[in-house]
Parts: sequence; structure tokens; C-alpha cells
Amino acid sequence: MIELKGISAKQGGFRLSVEGLLMRKGDFVAVLGNNGSGKSTFLSVLAGLKKFKGKYLLEGQSFQSISPLYRHRIISFLPQQTSLNMPFDVHYVVLTGRYPYTNGRNYKDEDIRATERILKEFDIFHLRHRQFNELSGGEKQRALLARVINRNSPIILLDEPLSGIDLKHQHEILNFLKRLCKDRIILIVIHDISLAIREFDRFLFFVKGTLAHDLQKRELDEEKLTRVFGVKVNFIRHKKGVFVYIEGDKYGFRNKKT
Amino acid sequence: MNQKRKIKRRTLELYTSEIAITVLSALLIVVSTVAIIKGAVRINFFDMSTIERDILLYVRVPRVLLAGLVGAALGFSGVLFQYVMKNPLADSFTTGVSASSAMGAVVAIVLGLGMLVPLFALTGGIIGLITVYKIASVRGKVQPITMLLAGIVISTFSSAIISFMKFLSNDAVSSIIFWLMGGFQSASISKAAVLGIILLLSYLLIRRDSLSLDIICFDDTTAISSGVAVARLRRKAFFIAALLTAFSVGYAGIIGFVGLIIPHIIRLLRFFKASELIPLSLLGGAFFMILNDLIARTILAEGQELPVGIITSAVGGMFFLYLLIKRRKELYYVD
Repeated sequence: MIELKGISAKQGGFRLSVEGLLMRKGDFVAVLGNNGSGKSTFLSVLAGLKKFKGKYLLEGQSFQSISPLYRHRIISFLPQQTSLNMPFDVHYVVLTGRYPYTNGRNYKDEDIRATERILKEFDIFHLRHRQFNELSGGEKQRALLARVINRNSPIILLDEPLSGIDLKHQHEILNFLKRLCKDRIILIVIHDISLAIREFDRFLFFVKGTLAHDLQKRELDEEKLTRVFGVKVNFIRHKKGVFVYIEGDKYGFRNKKT
Repeated sequence: MNQKRKIKRRTLELYTSEIAITVLSALLIVVSTVAIIKGAVRINFFDMSTIERDILLYVRVPRVLLAGLVGAALGFSGVLFQYVMKNPLADSFTTGVSASSAMGAVVAIVLGLGMLVPLFALTGGIIGLITVYKIASVRGKVQPITMLLAGIVISTFSSAIISFMKFLSNDAVSSIIFWLMGGFQSASISKAAVLGIILLLSYLLIRRDSLSLDIICFDDTTAISSGVAVARLRRKAFFIAALLTAFSVGYAGIIGFVGLIIPHIIRLLRFFKASELIPLSLLGGAFFMILNDLIARTILAEGQELPVGIITSAVGGMFFLYLLIKRRKELYYVD
């Protein structure tokens, strides 16, 4: 369980602020908002990578009182961008996700078995001997995602995990994450609203650094989304779900022009 | 058939680092033996005179030992500098630690305090290190690029001071020049012992961080969120590397290229993990240095010696050039 109260953190030109938020096991949460609205900053705070003011409790325990190594056993985090300047192979890159469980000197057989399972799950087992840096963008992203999931932590934070991944794998990965989420909390930053509406059940919307809305799927409506994103959002309801249609002009400018 | 070959390949992969360590250790033993047997004075091992025995025990053995240890220390420090700065071209030279150690040593020579050369070198090296560190660290974090730039500034400044002192004191010139080129003429068992202990402690301290050194090859956000205390690890590796460099320079002068080239060769042999890269660089550095010193003291007739730095730079430079041209793509990924 994650409990936040009066969280604020400074980032560049703006200040992140989250008045109150409660997340429980099984929550599969989409984090949405325009560029620079504070989504990444919010995940950084949750991952313990950024200083903040306010109350942040993990399972009732104050976040600051948990030792850094233990924190990273509980929380795994996929940043928006990752670079690696050593030609490690894919297998080793994914294996390093298990680091918080090691004694610092070597990985155990258990870690290697878990890694092979996860490689198969993300359909990159056949790439395991290839150099990570020689993979295509989408393959890299899948390897990094596998690396993060390999930690098997109860809280998983993913910053735009699906960018560059083809539709087939996006679909498989989301299904896998949903199954995984049964006894975990998973937060995912995502820009594709249609996909988000189809796959997620809880939505956090950020506007100018502030957590503006915390909504369940049924509470979503066109008006709120239009205000959050600054473009006219229309829902097209279909028996297979809701589709989103965005009107070209920026909302509010239409009347002035005509 | 195919399956069998696959299994064989797997097994080979699993043991390649052990094989490499065994092969390098064997080579090290061979080259050390040859280096002890060969020299300006011929030693009859089956019927030693007192002089021959003294030469063996007080000149040749300490020299080979010190050469091996300095080589290992430079290879080790090179690897560490490259991890800390995430830069394939980082080593004791580019951080400015070598040059500032040399400046300390030259000050000692000019002041006529020949006995205190290692101490002055260490002091100079540590002053250089702290300066670079202060400039390059922001809120406890070492910024790799700034550190490289600061290293260049320190090197240039130290070289200027050294040149100025050469200009000032004519009589000490030849001594300064020879010392700056590096060599093992002043080897002794006690020096070898001190360096040996420092090397052993450094290795034991760093071995615990093998996995985290691999993880700091990722960007900092990824490394920190993987559970690695990045800033602390960088500081630790940096100080150990500087300590190894200062002692190497203090005992054997500036010997270029070893810290840069040995880790590169090991990586080109496809060993990328710290748990393989560090021990192999230690062994490789020791082997390379003993071999170079052997060449330096036997290539000229009548017991004349070349400064070993000339050989390492010539051999190392040519090899490095070959690698750069032939296998540029595999050297390293820099972004």
C-alpha cells in the first residue's frame, strides 16, 4: 500500500504537488498528462530518486526510514531513457535487474533461472547473446522492461514503457503486466489515451505539476479529458469499448477563428 | 550434433574467464622466470658466488617483483578510472594524478631530497587528486566530463612546473628526465612489499563491488534505482585508483599507456564484467610490464638500459593504433 499526503517536490521551473493519494495492491494505474506536467517527477519521487516534502508511507512505514537497498527491493523503476556504455549482452542486462537481492559479488542460480523465464516471457530469449547496444529501439525497450520486471518487486513504476514497441508486443506486455498486477501496484506513464482507457482501471491526471484528477474508468468523461490535455477529446462508444477521437484544433481557439 | 556443439559452446563460455586467468598466470610465471634469469650479469644458478647471489636477491628479484606490481597497479587503476568517469580514455594520466605525482617527485629531486621522492610523489598526487575532485564534484557527485577537463588542466599545470624546474636547475636535469620516463632501477624488496600490500587491500576492497561496478555503466538514474549507492562507489573507486597511481609513480616514475591499454585489450578479448575485467587487468598489467622491463634492460649491449617508458609507449602505442584502426567499433560504447 502506498499513502501520500501533502507531497511537494521542486523540479526545474515547476513544483510537483500531490495533496493526497492512496494505492492498494491490484491497482493498475495509468499516469497521464501533457509534457512537463509532472508525471516523471512523480514517479521519481515514488522511486526515491528525488527529494520531497510531505508524508510518503509504504505499508504504513515512512519511506525515509527504509534503507536504500531495501527500498529498491520493494520498488522497481523504469526511467524514460536508459544508456549503457559497456557492451554487455542482453542476458546480462536483464540479470542486473536482480542486483538488490545479491551479496554484491555474484548472482545465484535462482537469479539466472528467473532471468531465463523473464527473457522468454518478453520474447527476447533468442536475443540473449546479442549485445544490448546493437538491438533495435523496441527490442532494447523490451529488454529494459524485462530487466525491471525481473526484480519481482511489489511496486513497479514504468515511465513510458511501450515507446518504440510494436503493436503485437505492446499487447502481450500489457496483458502480462495486468496478470502480474494481481498482487502488486503498477503505475505506468502513457500517452495513448485510447489504449489507456481500454487497458487500465485507474487514472491519475497531472496538470502543471499538480495531481488534478484521480479517476476510476467509469468516472472518465470528455469534458475532464479535454481540460487536462488542452485538445478537444471526443469519445466514440462501441460495443468493444470506448474509442477516442481528438479534434485537430486546439480547444477554445475554434470560436475565435470562425 | 548441433545440440552437442551448442552445449560445448555454453560450457566454453562459462569457463572462458577461468581459462584466460590460467593462461595469463602461466605467461606471467614464464616471463618472470626469464626476467630473473636474464640480465646484464650472467648468473650461474648451479654454482652461485656471493656476488651473483646478491645480484639475484637484491637487484633482480626485487626489480621483477616491483615491475610486476607496478604493472598490475597501473592496469587496475586504469580500469577503475574508466568506471568512475565512464570514459574509455580515462586513466592515471588523463585525471592528472600521474603528472601531479611527478611534479611532487621533481620538487623532491630539485630540493636535493632524493630519499623523499616517493613521499613527495604521493603528496603531489593526492593534492592533484583532491583538486580535480573538488572541481569535478557537485553535491557529492563526481561529474565525469568536468573531471576529465580538470584532469587536463592539472596535467598541463604540472608539466609547466616540471619544465620550469628543469630550466632552473641544470645539474639535476638528467635525473629528472630519466625519472619522468620511468624505470625500475631503484627497486627494493621493501618497496615491492609496500606496493604489494596496497594492491592486495585495494583488490579485496573493490572485489565486493564487482556487480555494482557493472551497474554504474548504466546511466545514473538506472544505476541508483537498481540499488547501487552510485556517488559513494565512485568516490571509493576514484580514491583507490589514485592511491595505486601515486605509489606506482613514486616508485617507478611515469610509465605511460599501461593503465589505458591493458583494460582495452582485456575488453577486446570480450571480457566486460568487472569480476573478470579487474583480475585480468591486474595479471595483464603485470605481464606486460615485466616483459617491457626485460626488453628495456637486455636490448642494448654491455649492460646499458633504456627507460622502460620508451618501450611501453612504443609497443603500447603501436598496438593501440592497430586496435583503433582495425576494431574501432568494438572498443567501447560512448554516448
